[in-house]
Amino acid sequence: MNRSASGRGPVLVAEDLSVSFAGKVALEGVSLAVPRGCLTALIGPEGGGKSTLLRSFNRLNELTPGAVTGGKVRLNGVDIHQGGVDAAAVRRKVGMVFPEATLFPRSIFDNVAFGLRASGQVGELHDRIEEALTTVGLWSGISDTLDALALSLGPGDRQRLCFARTLALRPEVLLLDEPTIALDSAATARIESLVHGLKGDYTIVLATSGRRQAARLSELTAYLEGGELVEHGPTETIFTNPRDSRTESYLTGRFR
Amino acid sequence: MRAAHDRDWLGGMSGAAAVLSGGAFLTLMGFLLIDALPALQLEFLLSPSTSRLPDGTGIGPAVVGSAWILLIAGVLVLPVGIGTAIYLEEYAPRRRPATAVERSLDGLAAVPPVVHGVVGLAVFVRALGMGTTILAGGCTLAILALPAVVSTAREALRSLSPEVRLAAYSLGATQWQVVRRELLPTAAPSLVAGSCLALSRAIGEAAPLLVLGAVSFITFVPAAPSDPLVALPTQVFAWTTRAHADFAALAAAASVALLAAMVGLRLAGAVLGRALQRSAR
Repeated sequence: MNRSASGRGPVLVAEDLSVSFAGKVALEGVSLAVPRGCLTALIGPEGGGKSTLLRSFNRLNELTPGAVTGGKVRLNGVDIHQGGVDAAAVRRKVGMVFPEATLFPRSIFDNVAFGLRASGQVGELHDRIEEALTTVGLWSGISDTLDALALSLGPGDRQRLCFARTLALRPEVLLLDEPTIALDSAATARIESLVHGLKGDYTIVLATSGRRQAARLSELTAYLEGGELVEHGPTETIFTNPRDSRTESYLTGRFR
Repeated sequence: MRAAHDRDWLGGMSGAAAVLSGGAFLTLMGFLLIDALPALQLEFLLSPSTSRLPDGTGIGPAVVGSAWILLIAGVLVLPVGIGTAIYLEEYAPRRRPATAVERSLDGLAAVPPVVHGVVGLAVFVRALGMGTTILAGGCTLAILALPAVVSTAREALRSLSPEVRLAAYSLGATQWQVVRRELLPTAAPSLVAGSCLALSRAIGEAAPLLVLGAVSFITFVPAAPSDPLVALPTQVFAWTTRAHADFAALAAAASVALLAAMVGLRLAGAVLGRALQRSAR
């Protein structure tokens, strides 16, 4: 099921994007194009602006009091901040998975159904939930216990349920914010395998502090430090032949 | 070492506070019950009229009057108070500073209950022509309870974790959907319990109702908001001012009834909150 439109042109484009929180600059002058159907990794030290950039792509930053965004973010050519663009509609097209599995304290079924119900897509609720849970590899194990509390699942399965919850909305873009940071190596491997399987069907932006994870999964890599996009390009080039010494220092572990 | 010393010292203080408050409450209840026992009869609780004499009098009208006041104050203050709390917590921080609303609520919270009575007398009883009625009492106590309802509701609304809130938004929920589907069910137990606490404190107030001119002698059970203002706390006050010794027992018995009503309201709030949470999910 390929939801990518034809061509490899950019789905998301950040143009001179700046974000500050209560006057503190978190992102400054970032311009980045995210090509369709590719996995773009955002790497860099903590506080470098990875999460802020991700949250600019689905307008989540604006929920933080004191947040000010400058510049533009285009989704399929349309500036998502312009008047008349519905933030909820943007977020349904640009889904997000968070570092911690933040499930709602209710059943597995209700968690996956949340976004569909919120957007009134209840006609084929069961089919969409089965489809999403199958995609993330949970369906065969929990199809008989959909009424069980989602919080009763193990950490790895909880995070996969978060993926299913997002995929149920059939988004165009998936924003993954450190999706394996709270998981052990086995669960991380399963999530990475899932992400690998989703490549091609979705445009994915992955923020990760794991350099190896970025190298394993991504086609493109962008390095952010101090709220600035230092450089970006094909992953292989960034990892083997970075232009900027800051990127090289980070990748070789010589970062302060 | 210093931290351990501070912890021991503070622990001792809080233990002392617990013993003092618990001891004070038990002593109060003990004395009240001893005084009240001779008067605590079913007839006293259900008597359809009060009397100027200790024999044959009861608190039926006062109980019903307080129930009316609770109903009116609740109907007025809960939608306004909870709505204000939702606005201040969910909408205002991202729009414009709601400092004017917050400051006026702080100001209102600092107004002594007796002054609420003076304002109620001027506005509801006289300017709006309600007279000394249950309606005027309910309106006055609604305003008195407003700051407490707003502040307990705001506290309850903060019980939803920011991560869950963000997850809901990221799944395309609108602000109102987040409020209705996540915030209110999560906050329901504290919201209802807090509202009942604020209302129970309000209906225990005698001072504002005395200023409004609450009556202590009425020959019938109030049947409508337009009936004369009669309430339990003012009835207690009226009997404590009487010289006849039998009135002391009546005042104690009415106090026990008032306390029971306030505790009952808080318990009802806790039970209702949990039921609401179950039904919302």
